[in-house]
Amino acid sequence: MVLLDHLASGLIFSSIIVLGSIGLSLVYSIADFANFAHGDTMTIGAYTSLVTFGAIGGLGGAVLGIPFGFFVALVVGMAMAALVAIVTEKVVYEGMDVDSIGLLITSIGVAFVYRAVIQMGFGADAVRYDIQALRPIEWLLPYNVRVTEHDVAIVVSAAVLVTGLHVLLQYTDLGRKMRAMADNPDLARVSGIRIDRIKLWTWVIGAGLAGAGGVFLGLYNLLSPRMGFNLLLLIFAAVILGGIGSVYGAMAGALLIGMIHELTPLLSQLGRVFTFLPEGFGLPIGNQYGSAIAFVIMVIVLLFRPQGIAGEAV
Amino acid sequence: MSRNTRDNIDRRTLLKLTGGVGLAGLAGCVNTTDDGGDGGDGGDGSDGGDGSDGSDGSDGSDGSDGSDGDMDTATPTDEPSGDGGMETYQIGMVNSLTGSLSAFGERNKRGMELALETVNDVGVAGGELDIVVEDSESESQGGVSAAQKLVNQDGVPFLIGAVGSGVSLAIYESVVQDTDVVQLSQNSTGLGLTDFPGLLRMSPTGRTQSTALSNIIAEDGYDSVALTYVNNNYGQSLADAFVKAWDGDVAYNQPHDQDQQSYSGVVSEMNSSGADAWLFVTYQAEFATMVNEIFSSGYEAQLYGADSVSGDDVLENTPEGSMDGMKIVVPSAPVEAENYQAFAERFENEYGEAPTSWSAYAYDCVITAALSIAAADEFTGAALQETVRDVTRPDGEQVDNYEDAHAILAEGGGVADLDYQGVSGPIDLDENGDPVGFLQIQTVQDHEYVGTGFIES
Amino acid sequence: MSAGTRLQTAWADLTRAEQGVTGFIVGFAALLLFGLLSGGLAPTYFLYLVGIAGMYALLSFGLNSQWGFTGLINFSVAAFFGIGAYGAALTTADSSPLAGGFNPLVGLLVALVLAAVLALLIGIPTLRLRADYLAIASLGLAEVVRTIVKNESQWTNGTAGVRGIPSFFEGWPVLATFPEAMPGLEIFVPFGARIVLGTSFWSALLNVSLVLIFVGVSYALLRRVHRSPWGRVLRTIRSDEDLARALGKHTYSFKMQSFVLGSLIMALAGVFYAHLNLFVSPGDLDPITTFYVWVAVILGGSGSNRGALFGGFVIVAIREGTRFLNEFAWIPFDVAPLRLLMIGVLIVLVMRFRPQGVLPPQRELIWPSAVDEAPSRPDSGVREAKAGGGDE
Repeated sequence: MVLLDHLASGLIFSSIIVLGSIGLSLVYSIADFANFAHGDTMTIGAYTSLVTFGAIGGLGGAVLGIPFGFFVALVVGMAMAALVAIVTEKVVYEGMDVDSIGLLITSIGVAFVYRAVIQMGFGADAVRYDIQALRPIEWLLPYNVRVTEHDVAIVVSAAVLVTGLHVLLQYTDLGRKMRAMADNPDLARVSGIRIDRIKLWTWVIGAGLAGAGGVFLGLYNLLSPRMGFNLLLLIFAAVILGGIGSVYGAMAGALLIGMIHELTPLLSQLGRVFTFLPEGFGLPIGNQYGSAIAFVIMVIVLLFRPQGIAGEAV
Repeated sequence: MSRNTRDNIDRRTLLKLTGGVGLAGLAGCVNTTDDGGDGGDGGDGSDGGDGSDGSDGSDGSDGSDGSDGDMDTATPTDEPSGDGGMETYQIGMVNSLTGSLSAFGERNKRGMELALETVNDVGVAGGELDIVVEDSESESQGGVSAAQKLVNQDGVPFLIGAVGSGVSLAIYESVVQDTDVVQLSQNSTGLGLTDFPGLLRMSPTGRTQSTALSNIIAEDGYDSVALTYVNNNYGQSLADAFVKAWDGDVAYNQPHDQDQQSYSGVVSEMNSSGADAWLFVTYQAEFATMVNEIFSSGYEAQLYGADSVSGDDVLENTPEGSMDGMKIVVPSAPVEAENYQAFAERFENEYGEAPTSWSAYAYDCVITAALSIAAADEFTGAALQETVRDVTRPDGEQVDNYEDAHAILAEGGGVADLDYQGVSGPIDLDENGDPVGFLQIQTVQDHEYVGTGFIES
Repeated sequence: MSAGTRLQTAWADLTRAEQGVTGFIVGFAALLLFGLLSGGLAPTYFLYLVGIAGMYALLSFGLNSQWGFTGLINFSVAAFFGIGAYGAALTTADSSPLAGGFNPLVGLLVALVLAAVLALLIGIPTLRLRADYLAIASLGLAEVVRTIVKNESQWTNGTAGVRGIPSFFEGWPVLATFPEAMPGLEIFVPFGARIVLGTSFWSALLNVSLVLIFVGVSYALLRRVHRSPWGRVLRTIRSDEDLARALGKHTYSFKMQSFVLGSLIMALAGVFYAHLNLFVSPGDLDPITTFYVWVAVILGGSGSNRGALFGGFVIVAIREGTRFLNEFAWIPFDVAPLRLLMIGVLIVLVMRFRPQGVLPPQRELIWPSAVDEAPSRPDSGVREAKAGGGDE
């Protein structure tokens, strides 16, 4: 069944998007602006881990086809992304006295700076991790599902990170404070929560998750200086679809957007998927329209439900 | 009040005086150029290369353009040749230093540098050759801006450019077409350039590749092909030519975008199409991604490719065994020829690796430019147009290196006495500005490219 | 001499920012003039740069009309620019996949109509959204437009682009042959270079006049329109939309009108570009153009058309100036990321230190009579006070 394969790809792609969209949603709800530099934060995480992985190598042993060294590099990448975000917050955003639109525009400048620095350091060409590509998993082949162990690792790692975040938000002090701030910052401040510190932690977590997303994106496809920016629109679509201010909405949005993106190729092959339709039937929408379709769907949803799926009412 | 009127008069008088002086001065300084400028040929007939005017204190070089009537530039890029008699002939080059075609740009740069060394060792009609390079960023728009600067600002009469058929065509139509500037593309294999006889190229047209590929695939026993091509002039024209030449069934025929991170959609559609022969007309980075996806999805098929999918970038970025048995058709230099081997040896000494045919094309572009300049009466676009094709055409003595060729010209020979055989092949630019092509068939064996045959067009 | 004192008082009348900008422009113009006279800068290339600057100025006017006056965050500038260019190109080029070969004036009309239609298509779903959603949605829809233009080659020729676009003055009685008819001029500058003005110079001059006409018309139109009651409503919507609605204004329709107006001006820039460059391709719809124009508007001052002009020039200076850096081989970086870095740093610096831009709108937004009848200037500056700190 061709459908299963596309669903599987959708799941993998969604895992990458979810790491980006959660971070973006967090920053959106707590720092209160749309951070256009989020995509390039992913790029920073990816390139840092590239350098780290190149330096430390495999460290012997591997799980799911990915050497341990890669996971170490992953953590380093996340840390670097978080660090860069904190520095940016301190140097740029903190002292600024503009509204959220002004911050949005500033973040575009920041995004350009990130991308330019990476391009100057690494050149504009695409690169890959030094990890051997794998053949698809054998026992899934009869179902026409073609995933490799790397893909499984991506999904599993994303699940681990998302669960960790959930635990953080629901069961820890910090999480409670973050949720309070997202709900009503003034009330939170009045009740004694240190806004600045929470904001910093939000940046750390948000950027860290973005960095992880970048690393996995690099593993799934390629690393290039534009990789984060290319994904940024889809991540925004996921966040908006899910509803600003809701982390769980962002997760749902990411899943939807990822699925839509990967299922678009089926539009031109509808005859194969749905047996009741004639064989050659299909909409003349090619592969290249994957992101476009995801976008149009988001806009349509916004027309009828401007607050998104799980967002607070506008 | 009276003061006001007096002020007004003062101002008015001042303006009148200034205007009068200005006009007089301008009249004194302005001449019309010689033949009234409306010769109707689009050129403006203003001065051709002539003696330098000395007044700008530049390096005495000059004689640049006249083609589009721009001034003699005292461009800061001129090598300060300083000494009175030496002329510096400045030409332009649009290369893809950044962007998705930057790998080709790198190779061109090396070929160009080697050629420049060769030319300036011997000299060009007693002078030196200088090349100003601008980046096209692998995009048509970037190429047009680069060409605008070279033609309109630097005033070059000869332009080597560009990499990528779409870019070359855009430059030709937007910048070069109505001028006398000679444009010679170093790397363009798209078929569109044949329609413009004024646009010359050193790399042969892709039509021969497409025909060759359809023959090879048929010989290998396949009757159904899945084809994907990069979404630009190069990909489209080669794909169309292939479809015309191919007798069997085309199960899948879709373009894909350049510069994407993932092509899993395309690859999985090719798989669903049921064809067992897959043909790729695309660039290295894109192809490497596709190969990785084919490998990790476990697809099996016989792979074929046009010229740009072959390269080290692909080998380095794909796993072993992912492409074994793939056949690629590339334009090739005649590797058996003496001049090529000498070229390859120098290249290797200088850069530590074997040259590709792309470097050879760029090399030949520079040599051809130098020979055209040496053979022309003056360093203008119009004069160079007369000589550039003939230095490579098969009348005259065959020479295969610059030194000998230049010697013939220096002794008073004309273009009819000279047939330059380039390191990339006999060249022999035809009336459409296309060269004769050699093709090499490469097969991937043990994850290396092995030459398995030659085709001459 | 009174002309001198007149200049002095005029100078003192300007705010510091305006003095700075004027000084900058005068200095820059002097530099360019020096370059022209000494032979370092070719006149044709100089005119080409002026043309491009005019184009960015037009785009900035359009965006200013949407963002500066109405507060609409429109990230789909590139789409309207591209539609204008493609509309003109597909109508006038011989090689157009759709009907081609028409008069450029028809192309202009087609481009404007297409832009208006696209503005409606993009505006209807997005103008009701809150500001940041509008930003993202407009960016996304611009990308959808670009994807369509790139892939539907049966309509747009896809990535091959549309070639063979005639000059705007093709087919006009006198102007069509003006470049060839004019004699080539040589100008001898004492102690300078000999400047030759040939055919390409005259055709570049025609192009520049065209863009100047476009810029002039747009500037005058916007000036008039923004000082009208319509403009006042827009400014109210920008400051506080709920207030405008409370006053009974149908804000959605005002926003839509402003959006369409701005889009028409952007399309005008696209038309000029098509006839300047004689080639359009899907790459012209790349979102980087949108961001360049945003930088121009922000740098110049949101809501200020003069500032938008200034911003346009700065952008062109950065874009083309960095090209010349290529010649300095000792710079270890590629030029392309350097350009990106400069733009990014510029945005951050402007937003950090002077978010209202270099020339924030002050007198522009006020009807002249209101200021002129004010009492003699106190220290703080009536104009600043009257303008309420300027619209940021």
